[in-house]
Amino acid sequence: MFNSKKNLVYVMAFFALSFFTACESDDPVIENDAEVITDVILNFQELDATGNLVGAVTTFSASDPQGIEVGATPTIDNVTLTKGKTYQLNIEVRNSIENEDITEEILEEGDEHQFFFLGTAFVGSPVLTYQYDDLSGELIGVQGIVTVAASPGFNNANMRIILRHDLDKNFPGATNPSFENFVQAGGESDLDITFPLILN
Amino acid sequence: MAQDCNLVIRGKVIHLENNEPIESAYIWINEVERGEITDQDGNFVIRNLCPGSYTIKIQFLGHKEILDTISLNTNSFNKTYRMEEESLDLVGVEIHGHRDAVQTTTALTALYGDELLAARGENLGESLKRIAGVTTFSTGNTISKPVIHGMHSNRIMILNNGIRLEGQQWGAEHAPEIDPFLADEITVVKGAETVRYGPEAMGGVILVNPAPLATKKSRKTELNLLGGTNSRMGNISVTHSGGSGKINGLGYRVQASAKRAGNVKSPDYYQDNTGMSELNFSGALGYSSSKLGIETYYSFFNTSIGILRDAHTGNLSDLEQIIQNGRPFTNADFTYEINNPKQVVSHHLAKVKSHYHLSENWKLNAQYGFQLNLREEYDRRRGDLNDRPSLDLKLYTNTFDLFVDHTHRNEFSGTWGVNLIQQANSNVPGTGVTPLIPNYDMVNVGFYLMEKYSKGPLELEAGLRYDLRNVQTARFIQNELQEADLDYQNFSAFIGGLFQINPRLSFSSNLGSAWRPPNVNELFSQGLHHGAAAVEIGDSELNSEKSFKWVNELEYDHNNLHLEVTGYANQINNYIYLNPTGETVVSLRGTFNVYEYLQANAFFYGFDFAGSYEFTEKISAYAKGSIIRAKNTDENNYFPFIPSDRMDWGFAYDFDSGNGKTNKVTLSNILVAQQTREPDFDIAPAPPGYALFNLAYQKQLQVHSNKLNLGIQVQNIFNTSYKEYMNRFRYFTDDMGRNILLKINYQF
Repeated sequence: MFNSKKNLVYVMAFFALSFFTACESDDPVIENDAEVITDVILNFQELDATGNLVGAVTTFSASDPQGIEVGATPTIDNVTLTKGKTYQLNIEVRNSIENEDITEEILEEGDEHQFFFLGTAFVGSPVLTYQYDDLSGELIGVQGIVTVAASPGFNNANMRIILRHDLDKNFPGATNPSFENFVQAGGESDLDITFPLILN
Repeated sequence: MAQDCNLVIRGKVIHLENNEPIESAYIWINEVERGEITDQDGNFVIRNLCPGSYTIKIQFLGHKEILDTISLNTNSFNKTYRMEEESLDLVGVEIHGHRDAVQTTTALTALYGDELLAARGENLGESLKRIAGVTTFSTGNTISKPVIHGMHSNRIMILNNGIRLEGQQWGAEHAPEIDPFLADEITVVKGAETVRYGPEAMGGVILVNPAPLATKKSRKTELNLLGGTNSRMGNISVTHSGGSGKINGLGYRVQASAKRAGNVKSPDYYQDNTGMSELNFSGALGYSSSKLGIETYYSFFNTSIGILRDAHTGNLSDLEQIIQNGRPFTNADFTYEINNPKQVVSHHLAKVKSHYHLSENWKLNAQYGFQLNLREEYDRRRGDLNDRPSLDLKLYTNTFDLFVDHTHRNEFSGTWGVNLIQQANSNVPGTGVTPLIPNYDMVNVGFYLMEKYSKGPLELEAGLRYDLRNVQTARFIQNELQEADLDYQNFSAFIGGLFQINPRLSFSSNLGSAWRPPNVNELFSQGLHHGAAAVEIGDSELNSEKSFKWVNELEYDHNNLHLEVTGYANQINNYIYLNPTGETVVSLRGTFNVYEYLQANAFFYGFDFAGSYEFTEKISAYAKGSIIRAKNTDENNYFPFIPSDRMDWGFAYDFDSGNGKTNKVTLSNILVAQQTREPDFDIAPAPPGYALFNLAYQKQLQVHSNKLNLGIQVQNIFNTSYKEYMNRFRYFTDDMGRNILLKINYQF
């Protein structure tokens, strides 16, 4: 009788002790968003009739320094191109929070990534046509050729640029850079930006 | 003048220690030399007695005999007898395992025996769907959370062997971290039980209880082997328990289970990346004597769950496209492989529980529980990030309970206690994603008392509790430290009663207040929810939810008919819900809907019913179902994800009734109506209603002195394509198609 009472005291002491040496939460740590794309830069450079690069590079960009945030909208440049000309388009994708070039990662995972070019500029009666011209030969869209119609039916079109991740690149139709049903190839959108287009 | 000899003695025999009914206690009335045996609820009736004085003798093995002299004049005699265990030094006396019954007058339903056998291999949520009024809120076919009377997540509580399970319950895709194989019985309490179990037990409580530990020399092993055709699921569980022959009262149990399943098949296609694996372990060691009982328990739960690839959408336009498509874009094959997106969750739970009989009538109890919950959620990301979780949470919880129980020969019994909960949640650094919820520390102290009065057919119960909670949070938002220190406090109370109207009919009623402080995600969420293409925003100014739930249950049991009807009403003030703002966020990634946490007054009501009828010894039928209505009474509109009306009915044929061994086939039909009471905004309309047919065969065989249970089940016989409103993946895919399961249970 006495013994078990004593035991009980020990048990209680153990409980109390374990409780009050309880753990605390860790101090929070600043976590940089490694996945966020903050800047998309479109580099256009004219190609002459023989396919050689001529002139200076013109850049247009879309930027959103905080990533996805309520109340903040991205800044998107107007893209200005000249009628009848052909351009090489190089797309640069960056994370300015981590100061990281995401383009390299996209190229490394070329089998999982693909840009699609839509909007009124590329679809319907297009004023622009796009052709993949990536260095690796894969259809990625980091580098490509954009041809501006010589006498476009209208101006003020939209260029919608979409980066798909984890899609089935062999899906029928996915070789078309302006494949409207790109979602059917699976995967998800990492980028979906609409640039206003002005043709001179 | 002839005497009126139609008088009746009614009574109930229960354990003094824990109020559990005693079946097969022997009642003897000396004067008339007549006896009776108590039924499984401890009730007995002796009829046709003349007025006069009688001596009632009650005997039950291992318990002190009760002699009660009464004078019988009216027909309303009804008394509860509490039997006390005899002390241990008597030779040959059986010591009871100390599993405390839920001492509640609230409606409760338990899953055990054959029904639990039939549910083996299912996760906790799925298993509990067998109870009327319980549905699931699920994310695909592998993640399901139990819903009691329309409430889930932080509004219900799950107890793993007496310890409140503390994981990341707030998330819709966070399933309870518990292995149903450790249970020998799963009980659902449908009332508000804040007083007994602490804040948040607003909609109900689920108790997952292992069998009591053995107290005398014995050895028992139970093996479960299960396989299913859909997702090619394999599941094994082994439980071994025993009692020491050397030390009287020392018992142990070890249990382990493993489960593996691949891609789930909807009738027309495989759902990509929906495999899962699970590995669980638990062990317990206990000692029990007449005065003292100690039990130590540890359980480990570990799972990897693949998330349907197509459910991880990039932005709102992706989401809209897949909803319009009505099925995943991905054409997957069968595989066991689990890729990102996936969840890897483990949960440790350890407890020590002790009770000590201070005297014949007073028992002191202490219980300490430690839990560590680790949750990693992986998304499809670029490069090395793919190997790093996007959400990585570590949650420590300590719970400590100290309470006294008193039971007396007279009509009162009760519990008084104090309960402490301490919690620390940390985001593990290195995810490369701003954490969705902050790091926090929480302390909750509660004091409570409950008293119960039992007299004859009547049991009355009341309780009161006071809680105090402090939450301290810290996180960085755009390199700025944000801290908060929040206090919440509340009184809660309940009153309930149970009245045995006659031996066939009983009525119970319980009115309980409950409360729930806002959860950290409701206060501080700020971020993107991929599956819903939504940005969710918390509000640190939210108040505690307060509710009053009134539950009434009528139970009728006579010969071949059993009926149970539960009706309830639940008024919740400051009900917290996620409201679509109608605004969108535009980013380089695309557009997202914005949701915010708001509060409004809510009113839930509804009823559940369950009944069975035996037409003949061989043929029986059953039906059960539930109806829930839930309304935002401020805005006069509906909340999302409230279960639609449903019922489950069927017929059973027993091949050899009467020998006590199961050998029966059951054909059942599940009918689920369309949810027509939809919220003003949903990204997709509620799917149409559906009907499913299931077939089950269960047979028990005797192999020497061992028991072999065989079960064959065909679920969704006709491979019907359907979508369940309560499954969040209804936006993306059809539910599971036909599944044929083989279940073997061997007890030796």
